Amino acid sequence: MLVSYNWLQDFLNLDQDPKDLAEKITRTGVEIASVNHPQEGLKKIVVGHVLDCKAVEGTHLHLTHVDVGEDEPLQIVCGAPNVAAGENVIVALHGARIAGNEKIKKGKIRGMESYGMLCALQEIGFSDSTVPGKYVNGIYVFPEDAEVKPGDDVYQALGMDDYILDFDITPNRADTLSMEGAAYEVGAIVNEKPQIENVVLKEDGPDWTSELDAEVDEKLAPKYYLRKVSGVKIGDSPLWMQRRLWNAGIRPINNVVDVTNYVMLLTGQPMHAYDAKTFKSGKLVVRKAEKGEKLTLLNDKEIELDPNDIIITDGDKPVMMAGVMGGKNSEVENDTTDVILESAVFDGTLVRKAALRHANRTEASSRFEKGINWDNTQKAIDIAALLLRNDASATVNAGEIKATDQTRKPAVVKTTVSYINNVLGTELSSDEMVKILDRLCFETQVDGDQLTVTVPNRRWDIAIPADLVEEVGRIYGYDNLKSTQPLLAETHGGYSEAETKLRRVKKVVEGQGLMEAISYSLTSPEKAVRFTMNPKPLAEVEMPLNSARSAMRQNLMTGLVDAASYNFARKENDLHFFEQGRVYDHDNDTFNEHEHLATLYSGSIFEDNWQHKNEKVDFFYVKGQLEDLFEAIGLDENKIEYKAAEINGMHPTRTAAIYLDGQYIGMIGMIAHAVTMADKALRGSELYGYELDLDAIDATLNKGMTSKPAPKFPAIERDLSILVKKDVTNSEIENVILANAGKYLKNLKVIDVYEGSHIEPGKKSLAYNLTFLNEHDTLTDEVVTKAMNKITEALMNDLEVKIR
Amino acid sequence: MDLFDKLKELREKGLEEIKKASDEKKLDEVRVQLVGRKGELTKILHSLREVAPEDRREVGQRVNELRDLFNKQLDDSKKSLLAAFIAKKMEDERVDVTLPGRRSHVGSKHPINIILDDLEKYFIGMGYTVVQGPEIETDHYCFEMMNLPKDHPARDMQATFYIDDENLLRSQTSGDQARVLEKHDFSKGPLKMVGPGKVYRRDDDDAMHSHQFMQMEGLVVDKHVTMSDLKGTLEMIAKHVFGQDRETRLRPSYFPFTEPSVEMDVSCFNCNGKGCQICKYTGWIEVLGAGMVQPNVLENAGVDSIVYGGFAFGVGLDRFAILKYGIDDIRDFYTNDKRFLEQFRKEED
Repeated sequence: MLVSYNWLQDFLNLDQDPKDLAEKITRTGVEIASVNHPQEGLKKIVVGHVLDCKAVEGTHLHLTHVDVGEDEPLQIVCGAPNVAAGENVIVALHGARIAGNEKIKKGKIRGMESYGMLCALQEIGFSDSTVPGKYVNGIYVFPEDAEVKPGDDVYQALGMDDYILDFDITPNRADTLSMEGAAYEVGAIVNEKPQIENVVLKEDGPDWTSELDAEVDEKLAPKYYLRKVSGVKIGDSPLWMQRRLWNAGIRPINNVVDVTNYVMLLTGQPMHAYDAKTFKSGKLVVRKAEKGEKLTLLNDKEIELDPNDIIITDGDKPVMMAGVMGGKNSEVENDTTDVILESAVFDGTLVRKAALRHANRTEASSRFEKGINWDNTQKAIDIAALLLRNDASATVNAGEIKATDQTRKPAVVKTTVSYINNVLGTELSSDEMVKILDRLCFETQVDGDQLTVTVPNRRWDIAIPADLVEEVGRIYGYDNLKSTQPLLAETHGGYSEAETKLRRVKKVVEGQGLMEAISYSLTSPEKAVRFTMNPKPLAEVEMPLNSARSAMRQNLMTGLVDAASYNFARKENDLHFFEQGRVYDHDNDTFNEHEHLATLYSGSIFEDNWQHKNEKVDFFYVKGQLEDLFEAIGLDENKIEYKAAEINGMHPTRTAAIYLDGQYIGMIGMIAHAVTMADKALRGSELYGYELDLDAIDATLNKGMTSKPAPKFPAIERDLSILVKKDVTNSEIENVILANAGKYLKNLKVIDVYEGSHIEPGKKSLAYNLTFLNEHDTLTDEVVTKAMNKITEALMNDLEVKIR
Repeated sequence: MDLFDKLKELREKGLEEIKKASDEKKLDEVRVQLVGRKGELTKILHSLREVAPEDRREVGQRVNELRDLFNKQLDDSKKSLLAAFIAKKMEDERVDVTLPGRRSHVGSKHPINIILDDLEKYFIGMGYTVVQGPEIETDHYCFEMMNLPKDHPARDMQATFYIDDENLLRSQTSGDQARVLEKHDFSKGPLKMVGPGKVYRRDDDDAMHSHQFMQMEGLVVDKHVTMSDLKGTLEMIAKHVFGQDRETRLRPSYFPFTEPSVEMDVSCFNCNGKGCQICKYTGWIEVLGAGMVQPNVLENAGVDSIVYGGFAFGVGLDRFAILKYGIDDIRDFYTNDKRFLEQFRKEED
């Protein structure tokens, strides 16, 4: 809500700098998002009286002479279509500054001297949306009631000398969505009681209440008041009212519509004015819409009504969407003479949903949805009638129709002085608290420690003691609270055990030189299960923003491949990424989340260098990194098994599934050509990576360790070179070696693999290095030789290996 | 020629030979020839029988002196030969130290996790436990337990991704509060927790909005926790993250799960409060939301709100990172551009 500082002065005697006041309000009540002083930055902009005006032939221009209160009139060339002799207009003199810090200088237009510029409101800083309709495409012309004379600054007449405070309210503070509400709030802050005036309306026309039969569902509209005014002359509102409207961001329309808007700004009660002809049938019904009913709104939007929309009908067709916007068919127009005014309370939730459903939130609906003051229904409708008599020469018909008239009892909240002090950490006396509550115009009864507070109906947000804590606290001033630390029994902070392990994993891979990435959890259904060994039912959102972000990922790799594509497209081809995060599925009808780790490598291990010592990442580099990780986190490598596997999205002959004690824990390999070829940026590239289910290995990770001394006895190494059929895997050979090596084999390494022309076709040669160690005694050659013999014999028997 | 002359001659010849030896190998040959087991000096000793008994002692002494001399000269020569050899080798091995090194890749942490880890460590030091909750959350924990019943207008403030009527992608980490409150045994001491994690909102991605981001929730509940404690705690966080010289202010705000609710601003670190584009000319930058736990939230979790109370706060980690590192597009956190991420190698948590 845009609150005018000048208007606030109707209620309060403010003498602060508006910016200081705004800071105070921000710290105490409602955030003031900005303080705007419309005339700021403008210079030498005055009222001018157009003495004569003639069209310049062959152009759209007019040559005018304008009295600006100086000895001689100024000759000014003006291009606006609506310039005419006799008008009072806005003149930017030579040397003026207009909106956008633009400087106006005298000059020649089409050879004619022009000593200034006649201005449109937009040119002096008005927003298009607040300029009265007839001046949107032309210069502004002061109305007769403007009381301006040539040479005056324009700022005061146009309300630009004002300061506009933008109340950026939270949903609980709808009470400040009116000038009166703002005055209560500001009054409490500056410790001054606002002057809120009551209205006395004298009806001066015949009783009209028998003309209309209003049938209103009390659940939809617990309060529903109607008045009638007759003999309305539609025209412009007085300038003072237009000023207040445009300073509040509302475009002046005509004297009837403006009154409804003005009353809403003043009291917070949304009003509606119907052309009385709308109800010539003598019927008005407030009900829920029926399926299939349609209504064209004032903004020309045709909507199909929903059975949960509240509507007002003439007994037959909808004429208004209650609390949101009127219908075109009941609009007050230039020929309207009789007007029916509506001041009502509609169900806030239904109004909110209707406005959302039809994407048509309005000033009115936003007030209803947050709660309006039930005590202002009468006042609002009376002020509106009174203003219409003043502004539009209306006669106020006697009588009101109060189709529903529920009352709302003010909330009574009981609390104690000690409770409030305990929560705030203050030591305020009950007197001090009562004073604070009185500033808010809350009535308080004190009984020892007990406070009984009656909260006016305008404050919807106060129902429980904690709400009073807030009121006392903020008016007392959060700046005045002490800054302390909780004095509590000692607690031992830290990470959970699972979290500690995740952190260890991240630390290791980061130490391996990987760069941490974070990708989106939502992806396409297809990518969600790509790179996934055992896809599960998807967790999908009901209303995705787009189809590429509709399903929760079941793997992290897809995000890293997306990242690779993004980077490759930018010529960054050496990538060493990891991501640690969750994957999500809907297996067994429950939503499950698992912590994963994925890495992705591409390009060179080293950066390009002048020594040309480059090595491209490949399967075995990545596998080595993974093995280092396993070792660093204490995973027993003897329990790990790699099996060639085919996984969607992975290269079918360069991918392994990884098992720990027979349980699947992840995969490692190269991204399939089918994936990289389909992506322009990745075409022809080799991407490698692995993905681990960290939840699956969590239980086996060691918790704490005991150190052993370094071995005191020397180890003995032996090499073993063999020739074997090509399709025998290293893992098969190692299994035979391990099974036959005896208890002193400490380490087994592959040191060479050769396939090629120097050996028999269909065969390959492998070489192993074996390290034997007895931790308790010196190992003899004899023992080792025996073990080696056993190994070679087993290899020859089981795998038809030739020893070389 | 008597032995004395022989010795004299040997001395001259020997020293000459040592001097002439140009490498270690030749020097070793000289050593063998002069002082070796079958060398010249040994030969002289063997011929000692020919010497008159009264001269033997002196000859023996001279031989020993000469041996010492030779050994010393041989050692010196060896040392200088070695020194010369090393000097040459070093000269041959000279590298241009100004050429660049061969670089691999230094790991880096994601900027949001740098902020998160820093805050976690900070809170752990103050006795907080780090808690993780589910990202696919129920409406019950995410909203209803947090005093946001269905139809609550504040739900409109957070467009939520629903999976079905009951399950959703959490739009806030607050659900962790409810879960922890339900489980906590207050007889064993106060509750102090932080709960970081990913959250999701139905916002189209642009420079200011992201449908996925990271939050951290904080909660302290016990018998005597005050708003002054909240103020003190928030001020410490702000100063820890944004600098000791920052000023802070609390503003009333509104969250369904706290009452009173506040937001905290810090004085703009770009303009120091004078007003600039970053702080939208207010001099202040909003950094977090907080408040005293709404009694309904405690009661919903079975905690007696008459006896227990406390404070809660929520930090947008993306926002912290944006402010701390001067990032102008939130999407930079999630596109994983190497050139963006590698800057954070330098940053410590």
